Amino acid sequence: MLGEFEYLLITAAASLGEKAYGAAIREEIESTTGRSCSIGALYTTIERLENKGLVKTWMGEATPQRGGRSKRMVRVTPKGVRAAKDFYDAVARVSRGASWVTNRGSAS
Amino acid sequence: MSTTQWSLVEAAALLLEPEEREVVLGDMAEAGERTWRAVFGVLGLIVRRQVTAWREWRPWLAAFGLAMPGSFFLMGASISVSAGVAAWLYGAALTPTKGLDLVCEVVLLVAWSWTSGFVVGSISRRTLWVSAAVCASPCLLCLSEFRSQTLSRPCLVTFLVPAIIGVIMGLRMRRISFPAAVALAVIVTSFLLPTLTSRPGWMSAWAAVWPAWYLVATARKATTAEPS
Repeated sequence: MLGEFEYLLITAAASLGEKAYGAAIREEIESTTGRSCSIGALYTTIERLENKGLVKTWMGEATPQRGGRSKRMVRVTPKGVRAAKDFYDAVARVSRGASWVTNRGSAS
Repeated sequence: MSTTQWSLVEAAALLLEPEEREVVLGDMAEAGERTWRAVFGVLGLIVRRQVTAWREWRPWLAAFGLAMPGSFFLMGASISVSAGVAAWLYGAALTPTKGLDLVCEVVLLVAWSWTSGFVVGSISRRTLWVSAAVCASPCLLCLSEFRSQTLSRPCLVTFLVPAIIGVIMGLRMRRISFPAAVALAVIVTSFLLPTLTSRPGWMSAWAAVWPAWYLVATARKATTAEPS
């Protein structure tokens, strides 16, 4: 089963689609979770996911705003989609009955 | 970020592999990262990469199973070859048998050094600096202690030339073709066959043989994995 950060990364990459690459995924994770995402955690996790066959990466185009340096593009594989769905289902199942789920809406 | 500050980030990123360095520096530039956050980010990635790499058996084998013992054995072989060449250059009678022995020793030294370098380069890319350090330490120690009237100090480390070429090729190629690997293994093994079975020197002989057969195994694995 995926780890929490692995799930976040796969979900961010999937939602970015064709525009998924290192910096964009990092920005997506930081803006949606409000947590800092280190470049070390990002790239070691991407490599781990690639070794598991959950994402595929390749060198993308270089842009002037990156100082002419290439991007590392990321695409979620069908296996990665299944793993993310399994993780989501497990979290949804285990969360049933939790106070923050049942009382949702009335808490605030 | 000023040019000086950016140079600091680039200097830290030198410890990353070239492709990853380009990607990471590009991400830093695009995100407009602050200097210290960028430096610590790069250093954090380097530490994580090293921790991940050392969890596997390959870096340990490359550094402490090959680079370190290999440097001792190869220094011995270098001295032996250098002494033979020096005796020949200084006019010692070279019978056909002795001449053939010398040629075999030279071929073996080159093949052994290159093979060891290639295996170290191919299996410990991210931890090559440790393999290099544990190989260099005994060399430097022996160089400082080496005294000979006929041989100069560089004779002790002649193996480094083919070994370094092997490391560079190992970093680039990872494996060689199956026929080339078999040819190399047969050369090294056949030249060492008498030593492999005799008591003195058997350890160095096995140390010389296994990297060549490791290359055969990896080449074979690659051949079966890609049937086309």
